[in-house]
Amino acid sequence: MALSDTTSSLAGAPGSGIYREAIVKWAPLLVLLVLIAFFAIMEPRFLSVRNFARIGISSAPALMVAIGVTFIIIMGSIDLSMEGTVSVSAILFAFAFLALGGTLASWAWLAVPMALIAGGFIGFLNGLIHIKLKIPSFMASLAMGFVGTGFALLLTGGDRIRIEDELFRSLLTVRWLNFPIMCYVALLFVLIAWFIQSRTTLGRNFYAVGGGEELAHASGLNVNRVRLMGFMLAGIFYAVGALLAVGRIGIAETATGNNFMFVSITSVVVGGTALWGGIGGVWNTVVGVLIVNVINNGMVVIGLPGWLQDGVLGLLVIAAVVLSTDRKSVSFVK
Amino acid sequence: MSFIKAHIETLATSRRNFLLGSAAGLGATALPGFRPALADAHGPTMAWSYRNRSNPYWNAIASGGEAFVKSLGADPEELVHLINEGSSEKSLADVVALLAKTNGNLALAIDANDGPNGRPVVEAVAEAGGYVCTIWNKTADLHPWDFGDNYVAHASWSSVDPADKSARIVFDAMGGKGRVVGLGGIASNPPAIERQQGMMNALKDYPDIELLDYQPANWDTQKAAEVMGSFLTRFGDIDGVICASDTMAFGALEALRGEGLVGQTKVGGYDGTKQAVELILKGEMSTTVDTNPFWAGGALLSLAWHAAIGAFKPSEEPQEHREFFGPSIIISEADAADFKANYIDSTPEYDWTDFWGPTTPAL
Amino acid sequence: MYKLNAVDKHFPGVHALKSVDFEIGRGEIVGLVGENGAGKSTLMKVIYGAYQPDDGSITIDGTTVRFQNPRQAMNHGIGMVFQEQSLITNLTVMENIFLGFEHQFVSMGVINWSKMAEAARQQLGKVKLDIDPATVTAKLSFAQRQLVELAKVLTLEERVDGDLVILLDEPTSVLAEDEVKLLFKLVRDLTKRASFIFVSHRMDEVLELSDRVYVMKDGAIVDVVTKATADIDAIQHKMVGRDVDKEYYREQKQKDYSDEVLVSFDNVSLGTRYKDISFDLHRGEVLCLVGVEGSGREAILRTIYGLDKPDAGTVSIKGQPVTKFHARAGVENGIGYVPRERKIEGIVAGMNVYENMTLSQMQNYSKNGVLRISDEKLLAQKWIDRLGIKTPNVYKDCGGLSGGNQQKVVLAKWRSAGSDIILLDHPTRGLDIGAKEDVYDMVREMSDDGVGIVLVADTLEEAIGLAHTIIVVKDGVAQRAFDGFRDGKPSLFDLVHQMI
Repeated sequence: MALSDTTSSLAGAPGSGIYREAIVKWAPLLVLLVLIAFFAIMEPRFLSVRNFARIGISSAPALMVAIGVTFIIIMGSIDLSMEGTVSVSAILFAFAFLALGGTLASWAWLAVPMALIAGGFIGFLNGLIHIKLKIPSFMASLAMGFVGTGFALLLTGGDRIRIEDELFRSLLTVRWLNFPIMCYVALLFVLIAWFIQSRTTLGRNFYAVGGGEELAHASGLNVNRVRLMGFMLAGIFYAVGALLAVGRIGIAETATGNNFMFVSITSVVVGGTALWGGIGGVWNTVVGVLIVNVINNGMVVIGLPGWLQDGVLGLLVIAAVVLSTDRKSVSFVK
Repeated sequence: MSFIKAHIETLATSRRNFLLGSAAGLGATALPGFRPALADAHGPTMAWSYRNRSNPYWNAIASGGEAFVKSLGADPEELVHLINEGSSEKSLADVVALLAKTNGNLALAIDANDGPNGRPVVEAVAEAGGYVCTIWNKTADLHPWDFGDNYVAHASWSSVDPADKSARIVFDAMGGKGRVVGLGGIASNPPAIERQQGMMNALKDYPDIELLDYQPANWDTQKAAEVMGSFLTRFGDIDGVICASDTMAFGALEALRGEGLVGQTKVGGYDGTKQAVELILKGEMSTTVDTNPFWAGGALLSLAWHAAIGAFKPSEEPQEHREFFGPSIIISEADAADFKANYIDSTPEYDWTDFWGPTTPAL
Repeated sequence: MYKLNAVDKHFPGVHALKSVDFEIGRGEIVGLVGENGAGKSTLMKVIYGAYQPDDGSITIDGTTVRFQNPRQAMNHGIGMVFQEQSLITNLTVMENIFLGFEHQFVSMGVINWSKMAEAARQQLGKVKLDIDPATVTAKLSFAQRQLVELAKVLTLEERVDGDLVILLDEPTSVLAEDEVKLLFKLVRDLTKRASFIFVSHRMDEVLELSDRVYVMKDGAIVDVVTKATADIDAIQHKMVGRDVDKEYYREQKQKDYSDEVLVSFDNVSLGTRYKDISFDLHRGEVLCLVGVEGSGREAILRTIYGLDKPDAGTVSIKGQPVTKFHARAGVENGIGYVPRERKIEGIVAGMNVYENMTLSQMQNYSKNGVLRISDEKLLAQKWIDRLGIKTPNVYKDCGGLSGGNQQKVVLAKWRSAGSDIILLDHPTRGLDIGAKEDVYDMVREMSDDGVGIVLVADTLEEAIGLAHTIIVVKDGVAQRAFDGFRDGKPSLFDLVHQMI
């Protein structure tokens, strides 16, 4: 063994390294399968196609938001603006949709790209504030999130906007192979995200910036531009999440964005994407979102009392993180 | 005649009734054609203190207050809005500032934001010689009758009885039998507790209805949709779902829509929101409960104002006129159209001097 | 009094301390000199408890001791004054002095600040520093901080029974000349309180202050000289004296370089870091910057790479004066940089071999933002074969490669991008002998290919062996340039003499 580097040779024999690598890589999926098996044993009805469809419905919007923030976390930054961005995108979509005709069969379909642009624009502002004013990303985006929620409240005055167009609602109501269309839309965007992650220079740059910012600089990358693009891309995915959320409940309101921050960040971490950047990816997040939603669904399905659920969810999340992330690779945990 | 119709008729009065009522109740101060001269600075300044107007509930309160001001023939903009944005400190500071500015010549209606803030607000107003009505927030040991005339009245709303009645509407829609689930608010919130209690009370009279589970969905639409989906997995067929708020009812309804169960599974909500009423009209929901914030906004300001001008002496009124529950309107499929016409598409005209007509004594 | 007996310390691939005997008596000042990598810092770490010896023993007054950590060493009277100062600058002087020992001033759960200030004043008196103990440390000069640090170590006096041994690691590196004099006087005065081990690059200082000097080389003590018999030249010979193996550095493969100038420095200066530096780097030339740590070598590298704009003078790359200095200037100018901190700045751990290799040239391997991954893999395979990179396949995470192979990936990254100026900053640091030889081969090969190389070497032998040209830098000033290829290689002694 031609190792001389103190740290790597102390880490153990190469055999155990490969073994460990494989475990770390597949641990989140293993956790998911164990959870499914557990709930299925507790309550066989859990293991039905209809229930998987229900888990799919509850996962789809959160998955889009979580994928958005995955890109940011891979860069080693954090984005906490998702709740505000989702609310604003949902509300702008609803306003435009109703103003342009109120059905997808009319010009109102334009509201869909408009919502995506709105999400991307908020992400762009986020990135700009982070980069130009040199404010840490968690602070810049948290503040932008509040601005977004406030703006959403200003737009609606606290009202809800109902979207009753049957064509748009077919996201929820029409099923192919037992799963509603929104699940397929979510899958499509997962594939797009995967393509961006693995096949584009942008995706590669996310990993480079997250893996070593100085090195990325030294390799000639325009790190700030990568950051800005990352936040924009995240904003667009938040908007997709907003559209699916509206499709799911037929309502756009200030509260549409509620709870997405906790669910998405938790999912990303549970899926094994490292918060310090550079490690993980889209498929990790898919598994992470499914883990969180399987836990949520399973707890009700097996009849866990309501007052226990929040506590159990918290404990299961910690357990999942312990099992699915390689904590040895960091010297300290912030 | 549905009870809602009867209710509306007791509230929405004609001009003639108002005048008669005024003449009878207020004597010389309410002569026909009498218009209080607010602008000449002799009448008390009128103010409403509340969280903010972007919330539909408080928006309705403020509108009610403005409607009362308008009924006096004054410009609704003369109503002073003290916005506390959820801060008790700001709430008290604004009141103290306004008392100083008006020299105590003030008729105030206020939600003190939290219970403990009720006392300093009331004491400040009483000391300055103003008149105040409170809603929702006060501590149990704070009573209007301990402050002579200056603390005019306190109003709150009980959810137990309306939740009982609305649950019965859902149970009846189910044909008096079947399997029902419940979605509650944040478990520690008093309204969440009261609304669950109301449903439990109603359940006692329906031996053929089985409550499968009652879970909190934290007033949240999306959470309600997810919990409802899980209920469907766990229990299969569900005939009814009682929700402690309309927001959660919407979530439950959309979970049902995804399964093609809308109309089959009966949905009950609470809060009387516009969308819930429309869904009742479409047959997708069975019931909701309106607490009529518009009436509260006008009536409490009216109480304070009439006390301030000496139209009646609060200290001579019985205790049930000083601390009372506001009215709740239970809306079912039968009267949703009436409610929509009278409360949503138009604003009912109230006799703002019929202070206590719609109220029930607080226990 | 304090003794190391035949202490051995191994690290993987390195025999860091070879049967070291070391001794210090009460009130003695002992010097410790040696080249970078001779084992000085390992020895110091063993003395103050940061490392545990693999073999041999430590005795204090004849009793064998074993320290698991520096705290235990401190309890036996061993204190350390760090080179990169260990004071917390946003705390006050007294808080720093008693950091971790505040409990002695606590009564009823509250710190008695005036009591602490009084005690701190007493400690500062030992080092004759008259400042308010409540001063925030950041407001002090470096010299004052050094004294505070010394005062902090001297608190051991009250806490420990028995004698003190205080290690001073390069204490003069941040001091001006008159400050050095004051420090030396102070240390001499303090010998009635403690013994001192004095480590420095500056041979004259070591000799001036120390009673005895230990000379280290390759992990062993090669000589102990007393002040009376000391001779700077003799010590320097001992420090570096080794027959240089010409084969090892591939000297027979060294060829003359061309006349084409790649990088030209014309009287370039930057602040206090370097002054009036002039040189030309030619195609095929290996130019080595030699000097002690902080002499200005790294600062010159950073300027070549385009990171730091000089205050005066002209930097030209291939005849063009460089006007823009920013993070990406190096890449734009076709300069490759192989950094010292390989794991942080060299490779992205978590990215695989081909992803690391194309990082600086993604525009060549993508179209409209979509990567041509099959081309990337071909490129990676080509360089894996060419440089003999030991990796199972192109998908291997670079973080899991050995140091030598990581270094090859870094070199492949720049060479495949067509960089013909390559800056090597300690390219062999932390590599074992085999991997080092691979790096030397690559240096020769690049040189043959017409790449101009600026090297900051790990050892002087390496510099002499590899370089065509050696420039010795001391305190930011170029002392002398040796044309080692055309005029014959300089000796180690020639270099050391210029360095210190």
